[in-house]
Amino acid sequence: MSLFSFCKAMAEWTADYMLIPVFNFQAGLFPPFSNPAGDIADWLETDGGLNTLAWLFAVNIAFAIGMTNLIIVIHLERKIAARIQDRRGPMLSLRSFRELGEDLAGNSPSWRFKQNYAGIGILQNMADGIKAITKELIIPAKADKFLFTMGPIIFISSSVFLLVLFPLSDRFAASSAPAGLMVIMAAFSIAPIGVLTSGWASNNKYSMIGGMRSAAQLMSYEIPLLLSMAGVFLLAGSFDPVTIVEQQQQSTWFFGLPMWNFIPQFIGFIVFMICILAEVERVPFDLPEAEAELVEGWTTEYSGIRYMLFLAAEYIRGFAGAAVCTILFLGGWAGPWPVPPEVWFLLKVYLILIFWIFIRWTVPRIRTDQILELGWKKLLPLSLINILIVIFMVEIYPYLSDTLTLLPEVF
Amino acid sequence: MAEMWISMGPQHPMTHGLWTLKVKVDGETIVDADPELGYLHRSVEKMGERRKYFMNTTLTDRLCYASSTTWTHCYALSVEELMEVEVPQRAQYIRTIMLELQRLASHLMWAGAYMPDLGHITGALYFWRDRELFLNLLEAPSGSRLLYNYIRIGGVKRDLPDGFEQKTERILKLFEQRLDEYADLFENSKIFRMRTEDVGKFTAAQAQNLGITGPNLRGCGTKFDLREHDTYEIYDEIDWDIQTREAGPGYSDCFSRYMVRIDEMRESIKIIRECFKKMPAGPTMASKIPVRATGEAFRRTEDSRGEALMYVVGDGSDRPYRWKIKSPMFTTISACPHYLKGYKVADIPAIMGSIDICIGETDK
Repeated sequence: MSLFSFCKAMAEWTADYMLIPVFNFQAGLFPPFSNPAGDIADWLETDGGLNTLAWLFAVNIAFAIGMTNLIIVIHLERKIAARIQDRRGPMLSLRSFRELGEDLAGNSPSWRFKQNYAGIGILQNMADGIKAITKELIIPAKADKFLFTMGPIIFISSSVFLLVLFPLSDRFAASSAPAGLMVIMAAFSIAPIGVLTSGWASNNKYSMIGGMRSAAQLMSYEIPLLLSMAGVFLLAGSFDPVTIVEQQQQSTWFFGLPMWNFIPQFIGFIVFMICILAEVERVPFDLPEAEAELVEGWTTEYSGIRYMLFLAAEYIRGFAGAAVCTILFLGGWAGPWPVPPEVWFLLKVYLILIFWIFIRWTVPRIRTDQILELGWKKLLPLSLINILIVIFMVEIYPYLSDTLTLLPEVF
Repeated sequence: MAEMWISMGPQHPMTHGLWTLKVKVDGETIVDADPELGYLHRSVEKMGERRKYFMNTTLTDRLCYASSTTWTHCYALSVEELMEVEVPQRAQYIRTIMLELQRLASHLMWAGAYMPDLGHITGALYFWRDRELFLNLLEAPSGSRLLYNYIRIGGVKRDLPDGFEQKTERILKLFEQRLDEYADLFENSKIFRMRTEDVGKFTAAQAQNLGITGPNLRGCGTKFDLREHDTYEIYDEIDWDIQTREAGPGYSDCFSRYMVRIDEMRESIKIIRECFKKMPAGPTMASKIPVRATGEAFRRTEDSRGEALMYVVGDGSDRPYRWKIKSPMFTTISACPHYLKGYKVADIPAIMGSIDICIGETDK
């Protein structure tokens, strides 16, 4: 059973037992007046209405799963970073509530947290969220107020949009488009516009330089990124994630081992990994918010929940970037039987994310001119070489092998 | 983009203290720079003229929070020359050990502050973790972790505690291992070298004209160290080398300045070990220290950041008539337009971090 058929059943049940009776009741409330409630009830009985409702459920489920993953990713980043740096990381957890009622001095009741070092810090995200919500939203006096509020909306909505675009398995997809990966990359590329907008609207020189850097960075990584993906599309003959993963499952190597795309297209895999790091703006490519020289870059003037959502959106983009990498090069949800494919998919995504966390805390940040040089002089030729290899594999090699097998017959 | 002035500071992550760097940028390229100092001026020299000679060691401790022993030592040396006090041999050895421990702690403080400038937070935590070890060592004889007030006029406050040598040896061994580990993380890292090599270049001649001294000068390949060229304490009795690096023929960049400090830390370890080997027994304080002094004296020492110079004039009273401090960082920061022009905005923290700023001693 796929996610959509599950949601369809849920939608049918909801429509039959909850929505249609309610709308029909409302339609009958004021007989002399025309009431749209009856029309809605009629629409919900049709196939189109039920499908719309089912998509709504599916999107919400995907969003909830994405947000849960976001919390796990943030927590993972904190703990692993702390371990790399010889620290312990956040410790505030449910166990810290044990002392509720009386504090260490024996005075009761008290709301103090117990100082213990046994928790894993799962309450830290909650504490951060509460702190961010309760802080004041400051709009600088000379800022462009409309664009200042539009910037976060563009950035965050385009990032959250990503969550529903990639499938967790062939049966667990909130959206299915023949050009799925193109839509994902298009959604990825909206965010720099938001960065540029908020950088300019802040009326702050640091923010503006940060926004400009984001645009310059876009110029440098976007072309090699899409070219390195082109190899995969050529091999699979489709933009559809499901088709791409099926192609990877079917192609085998020695001993019947699956040949996922990162083996034949190793160059493309490396180029893609570097470019997607730049795409999701993580160290060493987090130039727009370089805190050493630009204070906080384009987010300098933002406060409270807006700043928190910027951070959250960056992690969502990181998660989505790792998911795209998994689909394209690591065989997506393919894996041995007893583990469900959705879990395989998430495991691979987390593997990439942990790799990124290690990179983030072991290398310094590179410079704007260096990333342009890297993108145009090194990654672009490499991605073109990758495409050449794929063209050889797809077009020339079968023809060549056919010719070679025909040769003895000719002579 | 048109040219514009950006004011970095006095509160900015790049500044490492209170000062303002005004840079004129054309897009991302620096066209002009204008450093502004004086936000942290505490008139230490004037305050010192109202205090007795021995009281001033508390002021000199507060000149630089990262390297307080070296400044107190410079003051003690100049006042000892003014008063013609003979420091006992053992006290000289202890002073040398403390100075080198302080140099290690100061260079580690610098390295830890330099890494976040390049966007490398882990480096900061690693180096500051190691700095704690040396703070523990400095704490053992002096009793405090930041402002030691251990070196006094005529000697040191008290003798080294029991087991200090073994403790030091243990920490030095651990630290040497860690320095080797860090080589892979920093100087062999491709991205670290991309950020530091060929950035913030100045030649040795330029450095001498602009008054840049210390590790920044030795990063140009110039073999100049006051520990040898205007020797004090027992540096002439100990076998050690001046560490130099150069990025190219006669000029330095951020990477050579980084490496020269790493080399100096290894050399300091060598000096400390040798001091312990040769240290004689005896008193740690001169037997007779006069309260009043007449005449003038000036001594210069090799601070962790360059050439520290103090000039003291006595008029026969128990307080200095005039006290002048020359800070190495004041000249180095003032020269920053010469080595900032032409680089990118992202290079500003990389360059200004690499010269090891300490605003406390700069503004006095």
